[in-house]
Amino acid sequence: MIFKVFKKEELARLHELLAVNIMVGPVARGNDRNGKPLYDFEVVSDFAELALDYTQTVHSPKRFVLPYRETLSTFTLNPNGWEKQVDLNVRHPLVFFGMHACDINALNKLDLVLAKSTYPNPYYLGKRKNLFILGLSCNPEPQCFCRSMGTDSASHGFDLFLTDLGGKYFAEILSATAFDLLSQISCQEPSSKDHTLYKHLTNEKSKRYTTSVDTSDLTKILDLEFASKAWDYWGEKCLSCGTCANVCPTCYCYGVEEQIDLDLRHAGKTRSLHSCNLIDFAKVAGGHNFRPESATRLKYRYYHKHRGFVEAFEEPLCVGCGRCGAACLADITPPEVIASVRGKM
Amino acid sequence: MGGQLTYLGVPLARPRVGFFELTSCEGCQLQLLNNEATLLDFLNLVEIVNFREGMSERGDNYDIAFVEGSVTRQDEIARLTEIRKNAKVLVALGSCACFGGVNQLKNRFRDLDWVKKEVYGDFPIESMEVHPLADFVQVDLEIYGCPIKKEEVERIVTDLVVGNTVRHPEYPVCMECKANENICLFELGELCLGPVTRAGCDAWCTSNRRGCWGCRGPATVANLKQLEEIMHTYGFDRETILDRLECFGGFASFADTLRDKGKKTPTGRKNP
Amino acid sequence: MQNKLPLLDILDSSPDPHRREDPGLFEYTLPAEITSIYPLTAMEKLYQIQIVDPDQRNRFSFRPGQFVMLELPGIGEAPFSISSSPVRRGDLELCIRAVGNLTNFLARVERGTKVGISGPFGTSFPLEKMQGHDILLIGGGLGIVPLRSPLLAVLENRSKYGRVDIMYGAKSPAELLFTYQYEEWRRFDINLGITVDHAETNWQGRTGLITELLQERLQQTTSLRENTYAIVCGPPVMFHFVCKMLTEAGLPMQKMFVSLERRMHCGRGKCCRCNIGSTYTCLDGPVFDYWSVMNLKEAI
Repeated sequence: MIFKVFKKEELARLHELLAVNIMVGPVARGNDRNGKPLYDFEVVSDFAELALDYTQTVHSPKRFVLPYRETLSTFTLNPNGWEKQVDLNVRHPLVFFGMHACDINALNKLDLVLAKSTYPNPYYLGKRKNLFILGLSCNPEPQCFCRSMGTDSASHGFDLFLTDLGGKYFAEILSATAFDLLSQISCQEPSSKDHTLYKHLTNEKSKRYTTSVDTSDLTKILDLEFASKAWDYWGEKCLSCGTCANVCPTCYCYGVEEQIDLDLRHAGKTRSLHSCNLIDFAKVAGGHNFRPESATRLKYRYYHKHRGFVEAFEEPLCVGCGRCGAACLADITPPEVIASVRGKM
Repeated sequence: MGGQLTYLGVPLARPRVGFFELTSCEGCQLQLLNNEATLLDFLNLVEIVNFREGMSERGDNYDIAFVEGSVTRQDEIARLTEIRKNAKVLVALGSCACFGGVNQLKNRFRDLDWVKKEVYGDFPIESMEVHPLADFVQVDLEIYGCPIKKEEVERIVTDLVVGNTVRHPEYPVCMECKANENICLFELGELCLGPVTRAGCDAWCTSNRRGCWGCRGPATVANLKQLEEIMHTYGFDRETILDRLECFGGFASFADTLRDKGKKTPTGRKNP
Repeated sequence: MQNKLPLLDILDSSPDPHRREDPGLFEYTLPAEITSIYPLTAMEKLYQIQIVDPDQRNRFSFRPGQFVMLELPGIGEAPFSISSSPVRRGDLELCIRAVGNLTNFLARVERGTKVGISGPFGTSFPLEKMQGHDILLIGGGLGIVPLRSPLLAVLENRSKYGRVDIMYGAKSPAELLFTYQYEEWRRFDINLGITVDHAETNWQGRTGLITELLQERLQQTTSLRENTYAIVCGPPVMFHFVCKMLTEAGLPMQKMFVSLERRMHCGRGKCCRCNIGSTYTCLDGPVFDYWSVMNLKEAI
């Protein structure tokens, strides 16, 4: 990997260079009822709009690669049959300015299923391949347990990653485009002092996490505790509303719906993100529901993320961003659920 | 209008459709007439034989009856029974028809004579306790919302004509609200029934920063017990919660259990 | 404008239906036509579906046990296991029960209707390994449908297999599928045992559980350990009893195959509807050996 450092003032110049493209970044969205500032990712054009010191966005960046709803295909009917039109809905490259490590890792995890697997999803792939990602270091928040998930730093999946060293940024460069960009601003080779400072800061950051999840033998424990009462406890609280899956940067489950136009001459097929917590997730033609209880559905959410995915890819389908717990009105958080299943509550 | 309807070569019957209203604002029917862009296609799909709000001719020879409004008078029971007899499919159109709607707010008062006097004074008028259609006749299909969403009705009618199963979202409004990337209104200090209310409105109110009032009634899973706990945690008192739950009637039975039925104010208002 | 990023196109060729890594394949359907519809019972019809383009039709190849996705615009897309012989290639037979939106509409369409076909998807029965062995095909209800393709494949090469038994149970005689083919199957030296749960008075065949048929068959052999393969398809309760009996009769779990297909939705390992932990029924199945199924929570 190639490293550089540059003065903080240069960031605006970097932004300016990238601003010829459509750009998404963190912006402030007011405060919650307790006065805590809220952030989300939006399309921004002005550097001043960016809230680069953001804690965490309420929603994950996944909608830019995996929209909540997307038309997969449309059909035109004619007297002899019909024709299918497919539009991947990839309109332009997108620059992501200021993505935290957890969200970069989330995209890497989505890649495993949606891009690097059999039957890659071209709607996702097309958008993902057209992303330029500028990553940005962050500070641990109370809900963050990324360190337990091994996602507190990103080693790939971005073009450029900036770590705040105080007066300057420490830049990790992973693409020719990023290298080329940095050559257009005032940049230096990092000194050994910069190296020391970088190592010190990342080390210091790792000590500031207040939330953790014990993942040792978790795949086995989820099997052993398949009938645990803990699932019923959380199941009773669960609203089966799907909020956790919607704010999750790695949830990708979906459903497909068909529509026929009123003129009966056109039809369409829409993919919508679904959630395994929703009542009809495991319902099949004929009406049978494999998971009618909310406890079972909640259990399978954990079973998929922390057992099945680990078995398949050696890593959980969770980056420990804590968004699901923060957004859950019933206060169901992965650290607590996993601790209770382990019998530690 | 038009010849034989077909879809993928399968001949389809163009259903004869009637629209009727009981006690209501007729806003749901108005929604249907509201969009000229698709009205002609809609009229090609069905044959409308009765639509007081849209045409003057009347007919009683219909396959599908869309009935808006709730039942608040004895004569409406007779009318509804007659419509049921004529129709192959009876559709409850909108929250009033499905749950009693805003009309049923008056059921909150024990003393209905007092209500009548407060509203109408000495004017002679018959007005009884408010009921949804299903209290008197078999309802084949419910279309929720106050008002109904035009696109949803068009989709349902298309499904009926083509023979597709009519499907409502089983999940609550939260799904659509999150898909619109709204900040949860609870976090902004506002009360919302989104977590328990059936979706399908595309989070119409909450996307405009107004808490959900539950006009579409409960989702297939509505964890009201948990929602009650959440509302208390977020600092809403029981009367505020009940105002929401009782507004459209979809949550009537849960609201009843929440409200202490034993206590009444002298005017009939049940005490919190 | 030197920093304007170029728009990358990920689709650079026409999709190849047999290259599963081709992103263009995801929404690609082969134009196909329903060439005949044959009612089997009150609920099920047998559809002959032919891929329209002769070249695509001949290049279409599948292995018994695999399924295709069938699409009708505005109505739906669903997985169906292929019931025809693999030698017929893209001239498929699908036996479809009218239970949902798509299947109810299919019950109304006429010959000549255009449909979209994608696939083949999923795992298959190891017919090559089964050569030289006795084969038990055990099906309950609609479970006969995924058994028909391996059966027809066996009939194509009948001499390469040992004793072949079909044990087939249905609720009533009226629900029996493929009745017109029973005589033909028997001519190929297939031991065909049929039983129904309930029957009208004029039913000549036997009444009772499929496990009774299996019991009789097992009494004719000392052990299934060495030279037998079994394929079991049917409702969960049948799986349970049949697989238990076969295990007790010595049949190793790796020689006992089941087909699970009820939960599949996208067919491409993406929507998660059929996901059980790390297993996607549509990718890792629908054909599983009994060991893999035992290891799955909630599978049967």
